Amino acid sequence: MSTIVAPATTVGRSAVGIIRLSGPDSLSIARGLIGADFEPQHRSVVFRALRDPKSNELLDRALVTYFRAPNSFTGEDVVEISCHGSPIVIRQIIDFTIYLGADFAEPGEFTLRALANGKMNLSQAEAIRDLVEARSKSAAQQAVRQLSGELSSALAPLKERLLESIVVLESALEFEEDDLPPVQIDDVRARLELVRSGVEKLAATFSAGHLLSSGLKAAIVGRPNVGKSSIFNALVGLDRAIVTELPGTTRDCIAEQISVGEIPISLTDTAGLRAAYDPIETLGIERTRAAMADADIVILVLDGSCELTSEDEETLRSVSNSTRAVVINKADLPSYRNPMVGRAGRIQQGIKVSALTGEGLDEVRTAILAPFEVTTSDGAGLLVTNARHHELLSRATSLVRSSVALLGIESEEIVLVGLHDALRLLGEITGETTAEDILSKIFGTFCIGK
Amino acid sequence: MDELFEVVVIGGGHAGCEAASASARLGARTAMITINLDLIGQMSCNPAIGGIAKGHLVREIDALGGIMGRVIDRTGIQFRLLNRSRGPAVQSPRAQADRSLYRKEMRATLEATPNLQLRQGMVVDIITKGSTVIGVEMQDGRRIGARAIVVATGTFLNGLIHTGRRQYSAGRAGEPASQELAAALRRLGFKVGRLKTGTPPRIDGRTIDWDRFEPQPPDESPVPFSFSTDRLEQKQLNCYIGYTTERVHDTILANLSESPLYSGKIRGVGPRYCPSIEDKVVKFRDKNRHQLFLEPEGHATNEVYLNGFSTSLPAELQRELVQMIPGLAEARIIRPGYAIEYDFVDPRELRPDLQTQAIKGLFHAGQINGTTGYEEAACQGLLAGINAALSVSGRAAFRLERSESYIGVLATDLISHGVDEPYRMFTSRSEHRLALRHDNADERLRPLGRELGLVGDSDWERFHSRRSRICRVKGALQRQIRRSDKEYAAIAGHLGVSDLGDSITLEGVSKRPGAPRSLIEALLPEQIKSEVTAADVDSALADALYSGYLKAQAVNRGRLERHDSLRVPIDLAFGSLSGLSHEMVERLERARPRTFGEAKRIPGLTAAALSTLLVSISAAAGAKAGG
Repeated sequence: MSTIVAPATTVGRSAVGIIRLSGPDSLSIARGLIGADFEPQHRSVVFRALRDPKSNELLDRALVTYFRAPNSFTGEDVVEISCHGSPIVIRQIIDFTIYLGADFAEPGEFTLRALANGKMNLSQAEAIRDLVEARSKSAAQQAVRQLSGELSSALAPLKERLLESIVVLESALEFEEDDLPPVQIDDVRARLELVRSGVEKLAATFSAGHLLSSGLKAAIVGRPNVGKSSIFNALVGLDRAIVTELPGTTRDCIAEQISVGEIPISLTDTAGLRAAYDPIETLGIERTRAAMADADIVILVLDGSCELTSEDEETLRSVSNSTRAVVINKADLPSYRNPMVGRAGRIQQGIKVSALTGEGLDEVRTAILAPFEVTTSDGAGLLVTNARHHELLSRATSLVRSSVALLGIESEEIVLVGLHDALRLLGEITGETTAEDILSKIFGTFCIGK
Repeated sequence: MDELFEVVVIGGGHAGCEAASASARLGARTAMITINLDLIGQMSCNPAIGGIAKGHLVREIDALGGIMGRVIDRTGIQFRLLNRSRGPAVQSPRAQADRSLYRKEMRATLEATPNLQLRQGMVVDIITKGSTVIGVEMQDGRRIGARAIVVATGTFLNGLIHTGRRQYSAGRAGEPASQELAAALRRLGFKVGRLKTGTPPRIDGRTIDWDRFEPQPPDESPVPFSFSTDRLEQKQLNCYIGYTTERVHDTILANLSESPLYSGKIRGVGPRYCPSIEDKVVKFRDKNRHQLFLEPEGHATNEVYLNGFSTSLPAELQRELVQMIPGLAEARIIRPGYAIEYDFVDPRELRPDLQTQAIKGLFHAGQINGTTGYEEAACQGLLAGINAALSVSGRAAFRLERSESYIGVLATDLISHGVDEPYRMFTSRSEHRLALRHDNADERLRPLGRELGLVGDSDWERFHSRRSRICRVKGALQRQIRRSDKEYAAIAGHLGVSDLGDSITLEGVSKRPGAPRSLIEALLPEQIKSEVTAADVDSALADALYSGYLKAQAVNRGRLERHDSLRVPIDLAFGSLSGLSHEMVERLERARPRTFGEAKRIPGLTAAALSTLLVSISAAAGAKAGG
C-alpha cells in the first residue's frame, strides 16, 4: 500500500495551505522533513520547521497534525501539514514528500481509501463532493445532511421493513417442514405498502432537491433591442452585459449565476433573434437557439413601447410550447402599453417590467420559479439531490409495487425476485450489500430445526 | 508402495462414494479406502435424502451421472415432494430411506463399478514429494501410491463425541476417530477449524404409542430423484408428527449445566438450522411446543429416528425427557443422541475444482470443507472425483457456474467466502432460483455429464426423448382457444370467470390462478397426450410460467452487469491500485482477468476490491475516451 500526498486546499495565494499525507509511510516521510526524532501524539498539533532533506535548508515553519490509523479520515496514518499558503512553498513540500517516497494522489483517492477502509459509505462520499460543489446555502445544507448519514438513516427503516417481509416469505418457502406460523399475506402486503410509499416519497423530493443542487437554466431571448441585456444586468445586479442603443449589440451568450430563493439559476443573455447581417451575429444567433433549447425556462422579452413585430411573433410562436415567462419591458416609457392585448394565439399575458427603474423584477424572479413548483425552505425535509439516488429510488418503488401486486397470486419465489432486486437497489445508494443478512434474520426470528 | 492407483479416495461416506464412482467411471484406476467396509454409505443421522434445495442437489448429481439419486430411489420408503403448493422452482423431492438397505445398495453399486477397488483400513498420513501427493500411508503399515487423492473423511477428523459430561474420541458413535490423518493435514500447513453437529436418540418402535401421533403419509404419485428411474420399488410407509411439552422444556432448562453445549465444553460451531433441542428451548422460550418427527428406519427394523430432538444431554436424562413426550411414555432408547465436534479445513484454500492450492493432486470433499448434509457432501464428492480423474489424465478441470446449478453455488460459496458455521444449501443462496429447478436439472447438466463420459447411452437417449416430448408440449401450449371454440366456455367455467378475452393460448390458461394441470392436459392434442407423461407436462408448464420473469430478470441484471465488458488494461499493475489488500492483489495477479466480468468471477474477490478495480478501469476508460 502506497502513501499518497496532495494539497487539500486550492492552490493559489492564501494565508494557509494544507498538504495531506495518507498511508503507512506518512510518519516516516514527515520525519524526513521534520527530523528523525519527530514523535507526535495521535491527534496532536505541533509547530515544526520543515527542511529540505538534502540540504537542510529551511522550507517553512508549519503546524503539523497527526492522526494515527485507524482514527483518521482515510483510516490510515494521516499527517496534515498546514504551511503558509504560498504556491511555491506548497509545491516544494510536496516535491520533497515525493522524493521521500510518497505518490501524488489521484483525484478522489483520499476519499476512495476512506471508502475502502469503511470510514464512510458511498452516499457519504458523494455528499462530500456535493458539499464542495454546493452553490447555494440550501444545497450545502442538504449535502451536510447526507454527509452526516441522514439519507442512510432515512433509508434504514425502509430497508429493515423490506428485509422483514423478505424474511417472512423466504422462511415460508425454505422451511415448509418446520412448524412456522402461517404467512399472513395481508400483513406482508401492508408492510410492503409502507415501504413503497416511504421510498416513493423520498424519490419525489428529488424534483425540489435537484433544483437545489443543480439549479435552473434560464435564457433571456427576444428580438434585438428590446432590452434583454438591461434586464439581464438588472437581475444579476451588475453591469455585466454591454448595453448600447444599437440593435445587435449582444453578439454572444453571456451566462451569470444568480439565485432566486435558494435556487441557483444560470441566467443567459443572448443575441437578439433576427436575420443577421454579419457572420458574428449569425453565430451569436445560433448560440441563442442552442441556449433556448438547453434552458429549463425561456424568458421572452418584448418591447412594451411599440407594436409586436413579425420577429416578435415568430419568437412567441417558437416558445409557445416551452416553459416560459413573458416580460414586457420599458414600462418607464410614456408610450408603454401591453401589446399582447387582443392578440390571437396561446400567449396572452406578460409581466410589466422596467429594467431601468426595477419595476416588476421581483415578479420576474417569482415567474422563473413558478413552473417548477418548488416548495423550498420548509427546512425540515431531507431532499434527494442526486440523480443516481433518484433513479435507484424510483426503480425500487416500482419493483416493490409490482411485487405487491403478485402477492397471493404467484408463489413466493416470484414475488421475492422483485423484492430482492429492490433491496439491492436501495443498498446501492449507500454502497452496501446485504446477502447474508437474510439468513441471519431468518434464524433470529424463527425456530428452525429439523 | 504396496499398491499403485491413479486416484485414491479416503472415506466411504456420501462424498467418498460419489468421488470413487465418478473417478472410476472416467477411466482412472481408483481405490476407495474406508475404516469399515460394512458402513459404506452410512447415514450418520437423519435417514433421509433430499429436502428443499437438497433435493435439487441430488437431482443435479443424478443429471451429471452421479449415483445418489439411483440409490435412494431403490431404497426410499417415504417419498414426498415438498412445497407442492408453491411454484415448481422451489419444489424439491425428499425421501426417507431404509438405512441398512441404502448402505447395501450403495456398496453393491460400487462393487459393480469397473476400475474401482475397495480397501478397508485407516489412512494415517498423506505422502508427498515436494508439494505433490504420491500416496497414502495406512495404520497397518501399507503404503498405497496415488497421483490424486480425495479426502472425504466426514466427521472423523479428530472427532470427539459429547454426551452429558462424558466425551470420547470417535468419528461416529461406535467408530474410531481419525487422529493421525488430522495431524497430517495440520502438518501440511492447512488452516484447520472446528465444527460441530448433533444427532437425536433412536427409539424402539415397539415401545411407541403410535395412535398418539399424526401420520404423515407418502405422496400418492411420488417424484423419483433419478432421471433414470421408472418405478419406485420399495413399499412406502408413514412418518409421524408429535410435539414436546412445556414440562420437557422446563426440565431441559433446569439441567442446562449438564449440556456440553451450554457448559462450554464444545468448541466447535454448530449450524443454526439443525439446532439441538436445548438450543431450541433456550432461544425460543415462548414456544410452548416444538415439532418432532418419528421416522421409521426401515421395514425390517424396530429403530425409529426422533427427528427434531438432537441432543447431547446425558443419556439417562434423555430417557426421562423422551418419556415426557405424549405417546412416548413407555419408550425405550436404543441409541442415545450425542453431539460431535470435528476438524474441518478452510475451503478458501481450494481451487474451483476442489483441489487444494497448496498441494498438487490433493482434493477435499464433503464435511471436511465445512458443509453439513449428505447431499452437500455428495455433490462435492462428485466434483472432486471427476476432477481427480481429469487431473491424472491431463484433461482440463471441470467446474460449474452459479448460474447453471446449485452445485456451482455451493462450490463457489465455499471457495469465495469460507464458512463460519456448517454450510447447508438453501434456495435463497442462488440468485438464479427461478431457473434452477429440480425438474430441469437434466436440461442443465445431462449434456455436461455426457461430455465428461459419466452419462451412458440409454440415459442419454432417455434424456433426448424427454426433452423432445417437453418441446412438443410447449409447442402445443401455443394453441389459441377462441371465443367461438367449444372449449372456451368449459375453460372459463373451470376457472370461475366469464371472460378470457377474444382468444387465449393454452399457455395463458395455465398461468391463470387456480388452473389445474389436468385441465391443460385435457386440452392437449390426442397424439401428444398419449405420448407424454405428467412430469413432461409439468416441466413444460414450469418453463412457461417462469419465462417472462426470467426475461425481466435478465434485463435488470443486464443493467447491473453493464460493466462486465469493460477491459482491464493489459499492463495494469494491481499492486498499484489504492485500497487493494495484499490478498486481493494476489488473486487478481494469479487470474489476470481481461475484463471486469472475468474479474467478478475470480473466487475470493471481495465486493470492495471489485469496486476499487471498477473505479480505476472506468477512470482509465473515461480518460481514453475524453482524450
